[in-house]
Amino acid sequence: MSMSFSEFKRLIGADPWNRDPETLRARNSAPEFETAAAEAEAFEEKLQSALHVQPPAGLLDEIKGMSQQQPAQRRNWMPLALAASLLIAVGAVGMVWKQSRQWDSVEAYLADHYSHDGDALVAGATDIVSEQEVMRIMASLNASADQQLSGRIKFIKFCPTPEGRGAHMVVSTDQGPMTIIFMPKTQVTNGEMVTFDQMHAFLIDLEHGSAAIIGKQSQAVENMEAMIRESLKTGLVGA
Amino acid sequence: MTSDTERTKRFNELAEAYSTDLYRYAMWICHNDALAKDLVQETFLRAWRALDSLKDVGAAKSWLITILRREYARTFERKVPKFTDVDKVVVVDNDELGPDERTERDLLRKGIMRLEPKYRDPLLLQVVFGHSCEEISEQLGTSKSAVMTQLFRAREKLKVQLQKDGVTGNVHELF
Repeated sequence: MSMSFSEFKRLIGADPWNRDPETLRARNSAPEFETAAAEAEAFEEKLQSALHVQPPAGLLDEIKGMSQQQPAQRRNWMPLALAASLLIAVGAVGMVWKQSRQWDSVEAYLADHYSHDGDALVAGATDIVSEQEVMRIMASLNASADQQLSGRIKFIKFCPTPEGRGAHMVVSTDQGPMTIIFMPKTQVTNGEMVTFDQMHAFLIDLEHGSAAIIGKQSQAVENMEAMIRESLKTGLVGA
Repeated sequence: MTSDTERTKRFNELAEAYSTDLYRYAMWICHNDALAKDLVQETFLRAWRALDSLKDVGAAKSWLITILRREYARTFERKVPKFTDVDKVVVVDNDELGPDERTERDLLRKGIMRLEPKYRDPLLLQVVFGHSCEEISEQLGTSKSAVMTQLFRAREKLKVQLQKDGVTGNVHELF
């Protein structure tokens, strides 16, 4: 039994390059089939042209660079994580900490969380985020950021913290990009410096919750404290 | 060649083969160039970490798409992307296109952006990655017949949208 025209149109509408024998036979069976197939292929070329966007320059090199930057750490993560935890534990004296279900300490949390996507987010943060977006996320955490801070945020997202949801930000500074983790319900020892992998984090106890300023060890992350204190207002609603 | 060198070579081959198509796919699902770039980078970062789990090189494309789709779902849950005007994204221009054809292409892009994900996703997998209907059904975890229906409707919707957006003439002459 030969294929009906409506069935043929349905088949080439789903897959214009369909070349199975039955469809090919139908295509050659009558001029209207041939015309419909040619139209479908012409549309497909337009569709391909429309979808053809060019990746940003340098994307491939940045991706290839990942294997150079993270040679063994990504591969044998557990032993290094254990070593990092040990290192962190040595520096953890005096830390005020409420036990969490997932992490044993703020340091373990920061090392774990940052190793997840910290470097990639810093690398991918290029444009200043809209103030509206910053306000939206901050407001949902009962906090706000003034222009001094929001005007330099290049990436912001919700993120897990030891106690509930927080915010992960990448900010531009005169020393290069740094990461700030706002932890609305986590208490830390103010001024503690935590070291993990090749990064360090300066902890600030805020009026409600805390923040960690994370940067490379060559960056003076503690210099950002005053600006963060001045700009990041916490516990605005019912906290 | 050391295993680290082999691993890096394997990773670089994946990046060369698939980063452009993954970026295109990411761009059309999230409509945001910065987020698309971020998604592709995160996809490859995760791929680098888990590269040893990829045993079948032939499955690499689907594996990378799955990673990207999961990361997109996670990202979209926590951050609603800003809409990017697609005209601002650098595109491969076809110099042979005349003004009318460019208008058609721009209208098609707008139409693609308006498609519901259930129609858009299989269409992108087919056109951007060259997936067959069977591969799309495996990727999306749905039946082949459902995929074929979605693909057919996706194209019909684009044609209807083009007519609505003011392309004159008989739609059958265009397509």
